[in-house]
Amino acid sequence: MRKQRAVAAPPPRAQEGVILFTVAGYKFAIAAGAVKEIRGMEGLHPFRLGGISARIDKLKYTMERDGTTYFVVDAGTHFCLPVSPPSRVLVLRNSPTAVLVDSTDRMTEISALHALPRAFTCDEREWYRGLAVVGGEVVPVVNPGAFLSKNEQEILNAGLERLGGVAVG
Amino acid sequence: MSDGREKSYVLFPMGEKRFALPAEVVAELARPDHLQRFPHRTPMLAGVLVRRGRIVPVCDVAQILLGPDAPPRKFFLIANCQVGSSQEWTAIPVTGECELASLEPARVVEGAPAYVTGSVTAGAETVAVVDLEKLLAMETSQPNAPTPGASQSQLADTGQAGSPDPGTLETPR
Repeated sequence: MRKQRAVAAPPPRAQEGVILFTVAGYKFAIAAGAVKEIRGMEGLHPFRLGGISARIDKLKYTMERDGTTYFVVDAGTHFCLPVSPPSRVLVLRNSPTAVLVDSTDRMTEISALHALPRAFTCDEREWYRGLAVVGGEVVPVVNPGAFLSKNEQEILNAGLERLGGVAVG
Repeated sequence: MSDGREKSYVLFPMGEKRFALPAEVVAELARPDHLQRFPHRTPMLAGVLVRRGRIVPVCDVAQILLGPDAPPRKFFLIANCQVGSSQEWTAIPVTGECELASLEPARVVEGAPAYVTGSVTAGAETVAVVDLEKLLAMETSQPNAPTPGASQSQLADTGQAGSPDPGTLETPR
């Protein structure tokens, strides 16, 4: 009954700073180094661009910051969650992407990043870098690059170029 | 008396029925625990458990074995499961306590679902032996998956009788 086969080794220990945030009642973590700024909802412009808005429905707003246009992705739509009221914007580093979230909680350190179990086979494999245990609670650590994938950036680029707009990425 | 053909099985209750897993794949029977959920899109994964420092996915196979009317699950049977090229613990919610028994394996009944690999007889009850990997694969191959009603019917063909009191976890007989 207790006989065990070899299973995956525990994750390597390493400290990583993360920011905890909430969307539709679920808690998530994002690497602190991936976030350039956390700000309020002011200065957002609704994104309405015909076919692109329909193809990338999670893209809700744009915002200008230091001469750069950021595309603001609604995290609830990205994670297929029920509608919830966002109040904060995470502006990502090294990407023209910002993320609408309900609230930010705090910054903390995680000591291990567990691989997402292989039983998870769908979009979540792209959404998450792995799982962390924070205060006994399992929290997915998001993949910042998934909020606006390369494919979605190409769709945006193509659409905007047709309109003579800005390039993405 | 054993004639040497007996093998160890863990019999687990699922509503009025019981199913069996080869004991060598079972790692642990966990008490009701804190099922933790986070957004994902994989069908039938209910969430994860934290057990002995590991994060264990919880796969609710009751929908395949019993259909949508499965009673509440109370315990988690944790088994080693081959996922891709590696072994991974997977927790299956079950509706009661399990039994460990040495039983003689019998051939699978013709027409049984693909995840049934044989049967064992415990007293007057014939219990289907399931292959966990095949069972879990059902969730990702919906076109081949039976409807809940069909699943129930096919399992009935294995000759399972109503579930007796599953009792507590026992040592091999």
